[in-house]
Amino acid sequence: MKAVICLLAAVILAGCNLQEERKDSRLALMKTTNPEPIQIEKDGVSVEKIRGEVEEVKEIYDAAVVKGDHNILVAYKVRHLDRFRMKKIEKNLQDRLEKEYSKETFIVSSDYKIFLEAVRLREDIDAGKVNDKEADKRLHRIIKLKQELT
Amino acid sequence: MANKNEKKTPTQQQYDKLNQKHELKRPVLKNCLRAFFVGGLICTIGQAITYFFIYFFNFTEQTAGNPTVATMVFLAMLLTGFGVYDHLGQYGGAGSAVPVSGFGNAVISAAIEHRTEGFVLGVGGNMFKLAGSVILFGVFAAFVVALIKTILIQWGGL
Repeated sequence: MKAVICLLAAVILAGCNLQEERKDSRLALMKTTNPEPIQIEKDGVSVEKIRGEVEEVKEIYDAAVVKGDHNILVAYKVRHLDRFRMKKIEKNLQDRLEKEYSKETFIVSSDYKIFLEAVRLREDIDAGKVNDKEADKRLHRIIKLKQELT
Repeated sequence: MANKNEKKTPTQQQYDKLNQKHELKRPVLKNCLRAFFVGGLICTIGQAITYFFIYFFNFTEQTAGNPTVATMVFLAMLLTGFGVYDHLGQYGGAGSAVPVSGFGNAVISAAIEHRTEGFVLGVGGNMFKLAGSVILFGVFAAFVVALIKTILIQWGGL
């Protein structure tokens, strides 16, 4: 019995030891992180402006914006009781952003994994671990992840 | 109820009264609380496993559900084999049976019960004796819900 409980605890707490250098991403799923938006592609609309637009939605409390060469990724967290209307919120936000910035292509997601990966990308850019090209590749990988359904 | 009592002899009625007096009351509230905490604990572990898959593997919130369910069922099967889940079931009642881990318990406990009858007709034939109904009604309920959703989307304009 004790051995089983220890094994379970070890599996659950395994994350505490790893990736110590990443501070925000470690608790990104549990607390508000508000990561700085990432602008890989410098031309066009400002990511700050997009983030401001996203934060105006009252159901959203945490948002990460990444602007790449072709797409703009918007990952956000929805307030707990509003999660019942997740699809509607996603649709409304997508429509709102596409209406406001008609020239851009938006990938909107409320998935925790997408948000977590956006925070990790921000941290790696801050630490100087990735350049713009690699960051764009990472962004494509995150977008691909969003499209996976199984 | 009155008709039943009319048919009973005075001795039987007297016995019924005595029985009611000494009958132990079912601790419904206590059982509910226990089920709530045990079920909640199992679900918390499930949530922790989902976060584990999201953090350390390439699973999204949407895709992490499948490996989480598989892990929970596997853990419940192991705990049933070790004899731990029986105690948990006795304490938590429905709280341990309703989450998906109860499915693993139903499969393995039936397999253990019939292992003396041989691997094919015993274990193989009876393994899904309890869990079979869960699969059948689960699939059927999913089919009905999907049908209703399709109708509502196609013709209801949702």
